[in-house]
Amino acid sequence: MRTLLRNAILFNGSSMEDDPTDILIVDGTIEKICSGTDAGQADRSWDLCGLVLCPGFIDLHCHLRDPGQEWREDIISGSLAGAAGGYTTLVCMPNTDPPIDSPALVRYVLEKSGYGKGTRVLPAGCVSKGRKGKTLAEMGKMALAGAVLFTDDGSPVGDSNLLRLALQYSSRLGVRIMEHPEDSSLAFGAQVNDGICSTFSGLKGWPTAAEAADISRGISLCRDTGVPIHFTHVSSGESIEVLRSAKYSGLPVTCDVTPHHLSLAEGSVISSGYDGVFKVNPPLRSISDKDSLWEGIADGTVDAIATDHAPYHLDEKDLPFQEASFGIASLECAVAAVLNEWHRRGKPFPMERLLSLFTSGPSSILPKEWKWLGKIETGSPADLTVLDPELEREVDVKTWKSKARLSPWDGERLKGWPVMTLVMGETVHIDRESFKGRG
Amino acid sequence: MEWRHRHVIDLDTWDRSDLQFIMEQSRSMDELLDRPIKKVPALRGKLVVNLFFEASTRTRVSFELAEKFLSADVVNWSASGSSTGKGETLRDTAWTLEAMGADAVVIRHGAVGAADYLARKLRKSSVFNGGDGAHAHPTQALLDLYTAWKKLGDLDGMKMAMIGDVLHSRVARSDIIAFNRMGVKVELSGPATLMPRDTHALGAEFREDPRDALKGADIVYLLRIQRERQEEGMFPSLDEYHQFFGADDELLEFARPGALVMHPGPINRGVEISSTVADGAQSMILGQVRSGVALRMALLFVCLGGANQ
Repeated sequence: MRTLLRNAILFNGSSMEDDPTDILIVDGTIEKICSGTDAGQADRSWDLCGLVLCPGFIDLHCHLRDPGQEWREDIISGSLAGAAGGYTTLVCMPNTDPPIDSPALVRYVLEKSGYGKGTRVLPAGCVSKGRKGKTLAEMGKMALAGAVLFTDDGSPVGDSNLLRLALQYSSRLGVRIMEHPEDSSLAFGAQVNDGICSTFSGLKGWPTAAEAADISRGISLCRDTGVPIHFTHVSSGESIEVLRSAKYSGLPVTCDVTPHHLSLAEGSVISSGYDGVFKVNPPLRSISDKDSLWEGIADGTVDAIATDHAPYHLDEKDLPFQEASFGIASLECAVAAVLNEWHRRGKPFPMERLLSLFTSGPSSILPKEWKWLGKIETGSPADLTVLDPELEREVDVKTWKSKARLSPWDGERLKGWPVMTLVMGETVHIDRESFKGRG
Repeated sequence: MEWRHRHVIDLDTWDRSDLQFIMEQSRSMDELLDRPIKKVPALRGKLVVNLFFEASTRTRVSFELAEKFLSADVVNWSASGSSTGKGETLRDTAWTLEAMGADAVVIRHGAVGAADYLARKLRKSSVFNGGDGAHAHPTQALLDLYTAWKKLGDLDGMKMAMIGDVLHSRVARSDIIAFNRMGVKVELSGPATLMPRDTHALGAEFREDPRDALKGADIVYLLRIQRERQEEGMFPSLDEYHQFFGADDELLEFARPGALVMHPGPINRGVEISSTVADGAQSMILGQVRSGVALRMALLFVCLGGANQ
């Protein structure tokens, strides 16, 4: 099978090509990167004029709820949702039931993800047995089975000694520890950002110090052990500042931010009349925190954008705010939410910077064998995402492949959408309307 | 005046003319309370459901009296005695009430946003927030405002000192909005651990020393101290609280002579208020209780269409 993608604006993972570029895919592998190719060479050909062709997007952090909570999501529905959202690789979190803390469960995720015709799903394993935060899980066996990150996400690794041991022990495995940064005593019982939102609502406030304090602890342990550490869903300006200075001093720390913290703020909680759809951990922060995340992207402090897609059943979210579950489902509009905000801010930096956070940024955090993700190179498997940065479209959760039926962006018109997703050369998503007349 | 509020959820969308109108309506109702026969047929044939998920005697009884004086049909639906205890969602309860033909629902709930939520789910009924978590207690704020207005007249330019646990107080949040809108300057005091993050945004100034907050105050508002807060370690002891922040004659000296003393009740004698102050000439505490019935009558009357007829 020979597929030709013609006249694209090519983003190769680090920079944009100046001239329209063609890519020839033969049996799932990128055969040629060239220009002015004759469409007759291929079995199938698409004209991507005006569209941006990128390495397949990677989501380092999503919850597919499988095994054990399949009424919320499962590996198949999640992988189809990922494809529709422009992702070719998803890393699913291990806070399932039972938690993914053994090689058998790592293999379960990998095997089940093969049944769907969607995005590649790679499992993260737990840092601690049973995700209980007491003793190390079998990280070596899980790494061999294919775990790509270790995390107790949903909770921090609260015991500092355990986190230190985990860093030391995992070092030789080449699989990074991802910390959910939260000082649990400061966040205990908290519901919303400790600021305007807690002040007006009377809901217990979640200070940004709860996040920054845990990040500072992690940075100290990174310095102590010399082992890289990744902080996920960083939400505040204070945290960005701490990370910026750690990076400046040369420590191997990395971080990701979410589409919802980049595009929403705590004011939405109040203006919606305390709608549970805006309830998330960590909470939506102030406008100035949101601005700081964008500054963190601009200056390279932020390494990746990860969705923290956290689907729930409607009955777990459609409740008075205080009783609703924490989590925002976003896989299918995450890229659009970020691109839309980038447009709204008047494109504060070149698009390449933003695109690298979906591609080369996250791939650099994954184990060596996945380094080919996040680049477009001859001879590599054809994992590709095609974007239409100018396309405007309304979010409609009723059309989602995800089981989630609630989203803060439902009904919003967003600008900038993924329109085609290829995994190993297979088209796992195509926006038919966009491709009318491009065949 | 055209009344534009179907629900009473929070006062943040109310302007001064709304408040002024309700004050005047409350005064008319207040006059009714002096008559030998208090009942009027204003809401005859209307069904009002009092939906209480949290224990409450004062607010529930006050609403119930107001409803009965206006001749509404009243149903008390308490969460412990209903299917809610068996895990029915608030959404299903809401739809059930509407199917039964409730014209108005008074809700008291421990979760912030419960009244907002109920209002979103009901297509026809009016919702009256009888307190949602630590968020809002608009009818308390309105009755407080009415009490002060009745006594002091135009409140513009006056000062209120509010002392106590503002952090966990729905009364404080709603009162600050209501009194601010009428031109009253509000200053807060209490242990810093019991203050919200951004008192400025709330519209009030925080004073570490309660004597500073009381300086020149026309109204001294004392908030109830919940024993649980001390047990949670938010301040060391009730005794220490009383020593620094309890309203006794000595502290009251700092306010304007004759300043009104208010409290939402029930009071903790010897904690946030001394008995001499609670029972003293400046105390409005029982006046507030009476105002509450009149104010709630006025609200029910105008929101259920009475004022526009």
